[in-house]
Amino acid sequence: MNNMIEILNLKKGYNGVTVVNIPQLSIKRGESIGLVGNNGAGKTTLFRMMLDLIRPDAGEVLSKEKNVANTEEWKDYTTSYLDEGFLIDYLTPEEYFHFIGGLHNKNKAQIDSELVQFTEFFNGEILKKGKYIRDLSKGNQTKVGIAASLIQNPEVLMLDEPFANIDPSTQIRLKNIVKELSREQQITTIVSSHDLNHVTEVCDRILLMEKGKIIKDIATNSNTLQELEQYFSVLS
Amino acid sequence: MTLTFLIHQSKAFWRSKNTGKSIAMRIVMGILILYLLLNVLVVAFFIDRILEKTYPNQEIIPSFNSLLMYYFLIDLLMRFQMQELPTLAVRPYLHLRINKNQLINYLSLTSLGTAFNLSPLLLTLPFLIKVILPEHGPATFSAYILAITGMTLTNHFFSLWLKRKVNLNAMWMLLFFGTLILLVSLDFYFNLFSISALSAQIFKSLINTPIYCLIFLLLAGIIYLINYRYLKNNLYLEELHSADNSHKSSTEIPFLGKFGMAGDLAANELKLILRNKRPRSVTMMSLFFMFYGLIFYNRPDFSVYPIIFCGMFMTGIFIINYGQFMFSWQSAHFDGILVSKIKAKDFFRAKFLLFTMFSTISFLLTIPYVYFGWRVLAIHFIMLIWNLGVNTLLVLFFANRNFRRIDLSKGSAFNWEGVGASQWILSLPLLLGPFIIFLPFNLLDYPEAGIVTIGLIGLLFIVTRAYWVNKLIEQFQEKRYTIAEGFRNE
Repeated sequence: MNNMIEILNLKKGYNGVTVVNIPQLSIKRGESIGLVGNNGAGKTTLFRMMLDLIRPDAGEVLSKEKNVANTEEWKDYTTSYLDEGFLIDYLTPEEYFHFIGGLHNKNKAQIDSELVQFTEFFNGEILKKGKYIRDLSKGNQTKVGIAASLIQNPEVLMLDEPFANIDPSTQIRLKNIVKELSREQQITTIVSSHDLNHVTEVCDRILLMEKGKIIKDIATNSNTLQELEQYFSVLS
Repeated sequence: MTLTFLIHQSKAFWRSKNTGKSIAMRIVMGILILYLLLNVLVVAFFIDRILEKTYPNQEIIPSFNSLLMYYFLIDLLMRFQMQELPTLAVRPYLHLRINKNQLINYLSLTSLGTAFNLSPLLLTLPFLIKVILPEHGPATFSAYILAITGMTLTNHFFSLWLKRKVNLNAMWMLLFFGTLILLVSLDFYFNLFSISALSAQIFKSLINTPIYCLIFLLLAGIIYLINYRYLKNNLYLEELHSADNSHKSSTEIPFLGKFGMAGDLAANELKLILRNKRPRSVTMMSLFFMFYGLIFYNRPDFSVYPIIFCGMFMTGIFIINYGQFMFSWQSAHFDGILVSKIKAKDFFRAKFLLFTMFSTISFLLTIPYVYFGWRVLAIHFIMLIWNLGVNTLLVLFFANRNFRRIDLSKGSAFNWEGVGASQWILSLPLLLGPFIIFLPFNLLDYPEAGIVTIGLIGLLFIVTRAYWVNKLIEQFQEKRYTIAEGFRNE
């Protein structure tokens, strides 16, 4: 069982326009995937289908060889943060972490001790501030979402543009976290970003999407950044 | 500039994603308001007769005068409860080269368009024409109109100002209600002074010296300026945004801990209700329904029908009021629920837990109705069983067919967001269900058997709940994509 995620003939369209069309894609355990593409390339739609939030028009997404639409086992080891819609915004961050931890049978003390490792990442702006999540800035909401996905000890982690709203220091910390996850803990990570520097630095495999198709699938090396920059500059 | 704002707002309305639905809703609402105003007009037309009947020993005009101030007090209370603050999203304009005065003028001007400002004149105009005009002449007549307009505007801007104050600091609300309670208790309990006498005095002097009506207009002008200056000094994002920055504590509900995952979910939903404006006001309104029985039971001979009806409403008001928007409450984080390790079964069990809790509390609150006979209490209990057995399932059945997003931070009075066909269809079986069962028994003259049957059917559905919940879960799995997609559309 080498393939963590396998996508077969996946298609989705809205009003006759194809948004995602992927004949085949396999993602191995421990791989770290960077998903790049311009706005409207279909990245978020792909994420949503991998998380069974959208019903594909055709094809299937297999997680550990099981179709995500028919089973719920993938929820045990897959965590994600796509947007604020994933957060329960009327809870305080602590309550939210405790709730999420409770889903994986962790008690509050366990969660609290696990949250200690995020002290730097949170930069003193999340915990014990006495704010509801809805009153946090977008960047801080992103931090809550990412931390909540991490405390669930995932085997697969999906983040949609996690670098977009956070400050430079946190970006660097997040990069280190993601690198460590895939290299040392063998966690499969799929991260999308508009910042080519970030993804080439963090991910060992880059998928380039355009109009719903994966048009490039490259193992990251020293030339990858140049190659990608060239592609995007040609487009313009 | 005001015109530009108006155009922008009309564009915002017509181009919003929900335009089709909201137009239909507005038409329904318009008809409703028109109907209410029509009622007001009918009452207004016969106000002299009504006054004659109620105060047979008094002349009409003094009794009319003495009631005016009460009316405006009640008007103020109603405004405070229901009137919405004008909602131009001023945010995109604040940083542009637009005078603050223009923004404020627009906010003040558009706020005037509510039925609250129409009803005082509608209510009094027929009386003024029928009675005041022939008796005291056109000068007094126009003085009255100006005075009433002045009072209306005073109330209008005062309530806007107060609401904005309350948004920033809840102490103002306590202060406001405290003053009101003090006034009313001084009037009714201690008889230290009388609002009606004061009111009669004021308007009597208006009849004698019509020019006094300018005082009312002056008052309105002063309040307008206060409101204007207040807005001008507070037209900043953080202050318009009504978020209060007090420390939020993490509340825990130990009682729910016993129910495992479903308990945790129910605890979350309880927080949803307590911490968000709309569900909170829906639940508060449910409390008012506890007085529903008083309307019907006060009559000397009431039949079984109203008890069934009131019993169902009072014990099931939470299921009906809150349940009709099931899943929509969670629309903002529905994606999060779907990808989390939450079993659909626990998700549904949490709803039942919540329903059972609130309905039981409602039932306990209706126990004082035993004053109207043990029969009332027994039927209430049977209707509780009916609610828990049948109406919970009914509400959740329709929840699987409800794809409308709800913004939790808006008020609930006259808020039609999230209302769709499913709410209307839902109300039919909800309202008629028990009567369809009861009617044939009653016609055959076995009302007791009818009530027992309602209870037994309720019990049957409670016992077989697991089966129905599995059916609901199957449907939920089928519909979840559509539900999630609907909730993503803001």
